[in-house]
Amino acid sequence: MKLTLKALLKSPWVFHLSTGSCNNCDIEILDCLTPRFDIERFGMLLAPSIKHADVLLVTGSCNRKSAIRLKRLYEQAPKPCLVVAIGECSLSRGMFIHSYNCPLPLDKIIPVDAYIPGCPPKPEAIIAGAVKLIQKIKGNV
Amino acid sequence: MTREEILNDLKKRFKNDIIDLLDKSPKRVYIEIKPESLVKVATYIFKDLEARFNIASGVDARTHIEILYHFSIEYLNVLISLRVKLDRKNPAIDSLAQVFKGANWIEREMYELLGIDFRGHPDLRRLLLADEWPEGVYPLRSDYKEWDKKAIRDRGV
Amino acid sequence: MLYIVYLIIYGFILTAVLGLIASWIDRKITARIQYRKGPPLLQPLIDIIKLLGKETLIPKGASKTMFILAPVIGFGSVVVVSTLLWANNNNLFSSFLGDIIVVLYLLAIPSLSIMIGGFASGNPLARVGSSREMKLLLGYELPFVLAILVPIIKSGFSLKLVEIISFQAQNGVVAGYASGILALIVCIFCMQAKLGLVPFDIPEAETEIISGPMVEYSGAGLAIFRLMKNMLLFTLPFFLIVLFLGGLKFNGISILYSVLKYIVLLLIITVIRNTNPRLRIDQAMKFFWGPATVVAVVAVILAVLGK
Repeated sequence: MKLTLKALLKSPWVFHLSTGSCNNCDIEILDCLTPRFDIERFGMLLAPSIKHADVLLVTGSCNRKSAIRLKRLYEQAPKPCLVVAIGECSLSRGMFIHSYNCPLPLDKIIPVDAYIPGCPPKPEAIIAGAVKLIQKIKGNV
Repeated sequence: MTREEILNDLKKRFKNDIIDLLDKSPKRVYIEIKPESLVKVATYIFKDLEARFNIASGVDARTHIEILYHFSIEYLNVLISLRVKLDRKNPAIDSLAQVFKGANWIEREMYELLGIDFRGHPDLRRLLLADEWPEGVYPLRSDYKEWDKKAIRDRGV
Repeated sequence: MLYIVYLIIYGFILTAVLGLIASWIDRKITARIQYRKGPPLLQPLIDIIKLLGKETLIPKGASKTMFILAPVIGFGSVVVVSTLLWANNNNLFSSFLGDIIVVLYLLAIPSLSIMIGGFASGNPLARVGSSREMKLLLGYELPFVLAILVPIIKSGFSLKLVEIISFQAQNGVVAGYASGILALIVCIFCMQAKLGLVPFDIPEAETEIISGPMVEYSGAGLAIFRLMKNMLLFTLPFFLIVLFLGGLKFNGISILYSVLKYIVLLLIITVIRNTNPRLRIDQAMKFFWGPATVVAVVAVILAVLGK
């Protein structure tokens, strides 16, 4: 495996994006950064700007307005960039599947690499999902 | 003034406009009024009784469209709701945006989601819906049909 | 020929390795203070290798030349400063007159390169961050230069780094005198601002202006900026050790004292970083032009009087 890809898996910088969620999944993501479930020991830092991001954590079912902005942000993230969908609303819109404002699920708009179910998922589940993502990328190459 | 005095005063002052007054519980009162006298009654409650305008909510009942305006009087701990029933084919009512500024955006939202026309509103345009939403389609009405051909509405399992 | 070896090996590689280790110590101690485990040992190095593998995106409204050149200029100046300091510390050649002024000027260039990079980005957030960096630079340069006058005065008004080191070898370290300890304290605060650490990390305030001047950098440019900051984390305490604490010596038992001097300075930086909130830019300016300058002037007066 290329050296830079190996380095990407050992120090993924996380960018957190909410496309219209109820903010419950966002609170659980911020929980992961606190001392109890520390993810800095895996090298993950919270990237302040999209140009420094390696992993995009997306919550919320995208409505028509935020889908435009989501596409713009995904194009601005320097590749290689991984996308993780967190929570039921971003997997398949959850209970908003018949809503007038959410036409498409997330993986028809941008390519998604890992899905983490739960409403909201516990921080342990988010960390397990991150580990599975790293193993998947290692196994693919 | 106590609660009973306020309600009796309202009944006496607007006895031509009030259709029905429902005293549901110590905290909630529902007053149904005619659509023409909305501005008069709302101005009286807002200015003279010094109530606070909380929010307005619109509902599409099957036979008509109704709007509820919620005012709260804090020192008495009571919430007064003004109910207005509108015709379903052509809902239109006077706007309250000139009386107090808090009604400006909620009336824009009710216009774009339910199709209620507010006469005299200074700036009636779209607030929440996306730009590519077609005109004349109101999502919160009960006869709303899906217009988007590219929407995916099943989970694929 | 020897100069080129010194430049590459001592100036670049040794400083980079020591700077990365220092950055790891800083992150690990911060993590332990916050009651959690920290990153593993090679983490800063892995960050830089990862950044070299990402693509570089240049925004449309940016001026391309300065955008790409800014990190390289800053990095180059840190390498030259570190080479000069190592050469004077090991007594390689008799240093030229006025090399302490050259080091002072070269140490202002990393902040300038961050500023130029921010202005060349064409992003309004980067512009705000760069203007804050400008104000901060104006703030801390004054007490820094005043405090550096103290070892110059003490070692007999000489402007050569070699003579300052040899004066301290004979008469005891400058920090042992009353004026020296005051000047060292002022220099530690100015160093905190130059390194861009809390409470003075105003230009790169993460929660306010999304990493300030570096908001549009990605890939190789960001890697060079981060490497520059990590190398500065070693070079600036080294500069202070040469001026105030007698330089690093590597014969016999003195190797332990040298390591101890550096570790104590690094610990002071980390502890100040973890126990303070961030200041506003006008509070920081008032601090630097108020109490810090007064203490530095008092230290200079005491040094002239001979204490």
